[in-house]
Amino acid sequence: MRKYYLVCYDVSDAKRLRRTHKLMRGFGDPLQYSVFICFLSKVEKVVMLSKLNDEINSREDRVLVVDIGPDSKRTRAAIEYFGIQEKLRDEECFVL
Amino acid sequence: MNDSDLIPVRYLNEYAYCPRLGYLEWVESEFVDNYYTLDGRFKHKRVDAQSDKVTEEGEGDKAHRRSVYLSSKKLGLTGRIDLVEHEGERATPVEYKRGKVPDTPERAYEPELVQVCAQALLLRESGYSCDRGIIYFIDSKTRIEVDIDEALVSRTLSLLESFRELVNKGEIPAPLNNSVKCIGCSLAKICMPDEVRLLSEAVEKDEEDRYRRLVPARDDAVPVYIIGQGSYVRLDGDCITVTSPPPEQERETIRLIDVSQLNVYGNVQITTQALREFCERSIPVSYFSTGGWFYGITHGHTSKNVHLRIAQYDAFRDGERSLEFARKIIQGKIKNCRTIIRRNSTEDETTTLKALAACGKYAVRANSMEELLGIEGNAAHIYFAVLPRLIKPRGTDELEFNFEGRNRRPPLDPVNAMLSFLYAILVKEITVTAYAVGLDPYLGLMHRPRHGKPALALDLMEEMRPIIVDSVVLTMINNGEAAGKDFIKGMGSVHMSDGLRKRAIRAYERRMSTLIKHPKFGYTISYRRVLEVQARLFSRFLMGEISEYPAFCTR
Repeated sequence: MRKYYLVCYDVSDAKRLRRTHKLMRGFGDPLQYSVFICFLSKVEKVVMLSKLNDEINSREDRVLVVDIGPDSKRTRAAIEYFGIQEKLRDEECFVL
Repeated sequence: MNDSDLIPVRYLNEYAYCPRLGYLEWVESEFVDNYYTLDGRFKHKRVDAQSDKVTEEGEGDKAHRRSVYLSSKKLGLTGRIDLVEHEGERATPVEYKRGKVPDTPERAYEPELVQVCAQALLLRESGYSCDRGIIYFIDSKTRIEVDIDEALVSRTLSLLESFRELVNKGEIPAPLNNSVKCIGCSLAKICMPDEVRLLSEAVEKDEEDRYRRLVPARDDAVPVYIIGQGSYVRLDGDCITVTSPPPEQERETIRLIDVSQLNVYGNVQITTQALREFCERSIPVSYFSTGGWFYGITHGHTSKNVHLRIAQYDAFRDGERSLEFARKIIQGKIKNCRTIIRRNSTEDETTTLKALAACGKYAVRANSMEELLGIEGNAAHIYFAVLPRLIKPRGTDELEFNFEGRNRRPPLDPVNAMLSFLYAILVKEITVTAYAVGLDPYLGLMHRPRHGKPALALDLMEEMRPIIVDSVVLTMINNGEAAGKDFIKGMGSVHMSDGLRKRAIRAYERRMSTLIKHPKFGYTISYRRVLEVQARLFSRFLMGEISEYPAFCTR
């Protein structure tokens, strides 16, 4: 069962920042600069953390992961937006 | 003793946890990563990285060695030790474990104790003196000392002995009985402890609380279908991008973790980089013609469980077993056809239902494959004669859904066009499942091998045809999702428009992800998962664990 996680990062080097952003696009949707919302299973979360761990420099950068909970009304209500809103994706299948 | 006969210490740990798990992993080469295995690997890596300095510490006699491989032909063991601390002749194996120190008197579980003891024995065989081992629990950052005493050594040796006997005997041990160990076990979906116990022991039905669903009800990842001619699929980090052809060149980005399979129709380009990534992630890529003919499939390495494929070939050669299985699937198909009629009929269909029920009874008693195929043909004839009556007349619609039984290559009417299109997708689905489970989709027990025909997929598909495809087609026509304007007629045959094909795929996928209560096991599960459960039950039937294949019949 997947859960929502908010992942934020401060990366101090431009190259690492770009690479971290590219990596994170594989796990979630960018809500803001350096802030992603990720809908992940436990396994996917471990893989993400492992890849992030390889990417960042633990002396200069930092990552924050917040577990917001499973897909529910309450979880959706817990996220409030002001200004420009990013659309979250939710598909049964992709037909292109 | 050959090197390949040496039992790795890791598998001895698994065997001590559950004999069936040890057998599945070591003998049948089944392995599945789950949260615990991946988290363990990640934490191992972090500990290794943090303690790099330790490795260089110590000189001369006193030293630390990481990842030490040792084998002993005398013990019949081989294994890797995370860390060996040694001082002169004395050596201590250190085993890293994810998680916290358990709340037991020994402060470690038996499988880990046995594992460390086996490592100690390997060190002794290499000439070191070793009377203690250490288990380091990463999450509690605690070292637990383990005395390698007489009792532990004899327990370890006796487990090793019984594991070897099991391997030589080549017979899978029964699953654990309603054990908590199964919850979170990475092989639960392959082992199917509760299902196998219940089907092999014929336990009473009212013990329903014992049916546990040990796997998620449905997958998080979803299938991707690419219909747009001239589309281009590329790899982009952990995503794929699909670009539609010029002039629009619209780009859609899809995360790979959200992709369970890729299906392409006609002229769609996929880069090698993307294909390689699909193989690595076990995402099968299926190819169809623009019209929906299923041509083939690209997938990564097949399952390593060769024993299962051998059992499949044996069953193929065994006429009686093949017939036994064929009877079940035909009986299941006929039952499900009846269900479709019962659910959708507006007129009194008692005569038809009775006729089909009779066919079902004959099918169970069929004495030869020819007789069975005759019964199946007869039942199909009865069923497809009723099907037109299940289509509700839509007065204003100019299109005649003038359906008079099954025809194909090419389909002559709209209903047949839709049935053919979706049957091909269902064949693909079961082919993909068969590969994932480790079966050979081309060797059927009822459908005989023919060039390019996934005969086993056609076998396993029989019982699912009515409840998945026929049901979707009926619903789409009766809801008005498919109407006359969605079909193109030409050269005597009928084709579906692009729009309708997309809608049909969506309707089919909705059906596949629908959660239902499993009629036998009582838990909630998606139709797609049902296909996997059926394929795994079929493998258990092949391996002789359950005596008959239980066809899937909805109520």
